[in-house]
Amino acid sequence: MKLNTFEPIENEILPPASLFGPGPAEEEEWNPDDSSGGMSFVDSLRVAWRGLTNNKMRTGLTMLGIIIGVAAVIAMVSMGQGASQSVAKSINSLGTNLLTVTSGNNRIRGVDNGGSKLSLQDAAAIGSRFKSTITAVAPEARGSAQVKMGNEDANTQIMGTSPSYSQVDNAPVTSGRFITDQDVSGRSKVAVVGTTVVQNLLGDATLNPIGKTIAINRIPFNIIGVLKSRGAGAFGQDQDDVVIIPVTTALRRVFNRTNLSSIDVEATSPAAMDLATEQISDLLRQQHHLLPPFPDNDDFTVRSQASILQASQSVTGTLTALLAGVAIVSLVVGGIGVMNIMLVSVTERTREIGLRKAVGATSGDVLMQFLMESLAMALMGGAIGILAGIGGSAIVAMKMGWAPVVQPMIVLLAALVSGGIGVVFGIYPAAKAANQNPIEALRYE
Amino acid sequence: MIVQLEEITKVYTLGGETVRALDGVSLNIDRGEFVAIMGPSGSGKSTMMHILGCLDVPTDGSYLLDGLEVAEMDDVDLARIRNRKIGFVFQSFNLLARTTAVENVELPMLYSRCEDRRERAEWALERVGLGDRLDHTPSQLSGGQQQRVAIARALVNNAPIMMADEPTGNLASIQSEEIMQIFQELNDEGKTVIMVTHEPDIAEHAKRIIRVRDGRVVADETVQRRVLASEVLRRMRAEGAAQ
Repeated sequence: MKLNTFEPIENEILPPASLFGPGPAEEEEWNPDDSSGGMSFVDSLRVAWRGLTNNKMRTGLTMLGIIIGVAAVIAMVSMGQGASQSVAKSINSLGTNLLTVTSGNNRIRGVDNGGSKLSLQDAAAIGSRFKSTITAVAPEARGSAQVKMGNEDANTQIMGTSPSYSQVDNAPVTSGRFITDQDVSGRSKVAVVGTTVVQNLLGDATLNPIGKTIAINRIPFNIIGVLKSRGAGAFGQDQDDVVIIPVTTALRRVFNRTNLSSIDVEATSPAAMDLATEQISDLLRQQHHLLPPFPDNDDFTVRSQASILQASQSVTGTLTALLAGVAIVSLVVGGIGVMNIMLVSVTERTREIGLRKAVGATSGDVLMQFLMESLAMALMGGAIGILAGIGGSAIVAMKMGWAPVVQPMIVLLAALVSGGIGVVFGIYPAAKAANQNPIEALRYE
Repeated sequence: MIVQLEEITKVYTLGGETVRALDGVSLNIDRGEFVAIMGPSGSGKSTMMHILGCLDVPTDGSYLLDGLEVAEMDDVDLARIRNRKIGFVFQSFNLLARTTAVENVELPMLYSRCEDRRERAEWALERVGLGDRLDHTPSQLSGGQQQRVAIARALVNNAPIMMADEPTGNLASIQSEEIMQIFQELNDEGKTVIMVTHEPDIAEHAKRIIRVRDGRVVADETVQRRVLASEVLRRMRAEGAAQ
């Protein structure tokens, strides 16, 4: 006999149960129609919580799959929305009445088909007619060139245009003056500079460069004005890294060519844009001596800001859908992780399942217990994922200068999806637990 | 009559072979009896225990438990019967790990939606002499103490029948004796105790021994010289003190 395992019981004969306070009531009468029993909802929540907190590390790692998936979905969709709103905003800032004529027929060949056909005469013709539908026309001759001031030089965009550019493309000057019709007709060597150019050449964007001489491809120009800063454009380009000179000077002296890059046209109203497009097309077909069928044989394209906006929206939309698709895949992988861990957990707790059934748990009680666990895990993961996704997209939006866009719909959707994952991937393990035979479960080693 | 078995048959199919685990067992147990079921392994005593405990239903025959026909019950009713009419004690205790004694005892009440669970669980633990170990987890308790927690769990729903499957199989003799003492006290208070064991000296604590072999009851006798656990314990302690 092992004395060290001896444990005295104070009273050799224990007093009757009634001496110990309340005790259970009388044995219950059996009522076959009694539908009480079964676990209450609060109890199944508590039991599920115990199951999850008993293995915090495992629960946390399993939740991580859901967290990453949900956060990725929220972040991708929010960032996509932010990007497309930002693009739309800068396209709209150019004016909703703007039409852009470019050379080449993008319906047939996609891009410029070798050599631009737009000339200054085309621009002048468009500007001199259709006074009822068109308010202003700005020819554009673009190219990049080396600019130099003193010992500093830089590569920048040269924009040869006319005075109406300031109005059509919303580019006012903050100091000095814009180019004038006299500058254009006289092929003057005058330049209006953007703030980035000032920054690059003078080292400080706030210095006044007016009156100084800037050399463009070694040709000296007199600086007459500074453009108002416009920041990044719709596609991320720096709209302040530009030198504006008269279009005639640009064609003859700087680029040595006759063709324009494009013609910007401002319509009188958004409603007039369709008619203006028709008028411009007809005119250019005459000017260029084109033969039908049209528009197949056009050597130019007229685009409205609306169509550019639409194109950019469809690009960002596709991109958002693609990223969201990838994120959803990771969410599904997270769900499989939940199922995997629940299956392990059910196997590990076979004896517990047997015991619970022996003391009165129905298959439904056991099903609820395990389903609650996977549901709680998925919902908690979803909640953390939503917070992480909102936080992540806010940080990215701040860095990119977008307005953070978190739509309540996508948050709601993410919550529903993570709940759905908990149920869908939890039901099989839970059913496996519920269908255990109590005798075999109790014997399980 | 709390248990009435009539011509109970249980047939299993094991690997294509049919096994008659129980072959026409008829048996009556009265309220307040203390029955030990004995038999070699493979005799069908475990199957009998499972059917008596409503963990399994017979292939054929009738089983009236407290007047209710169990043989035709569905899973939900069987679960309710186990919850309200039967308290189980197992050889390997089967307590939930990392869960305190009180919470372990509360477990059956989770499935009966009863009030004042904590009070009733504390009462049951005090009843088995563990009133000072309420918040201990199984790993902080000795084997004997763990089995007493299991008995408290079987008591707490105030079921009329206590079923014990080799309750002392994993315990040292003095702890076994303490468990038997509790069983005898509970039986004295009117609880029906049915116990499966293969140890003759443990079976001698019962009032009646049923022997099973090849799926049949081969002997059913009243215990002539019943062992009283309280006396055995007194003697053991005296010997312990003398040494």
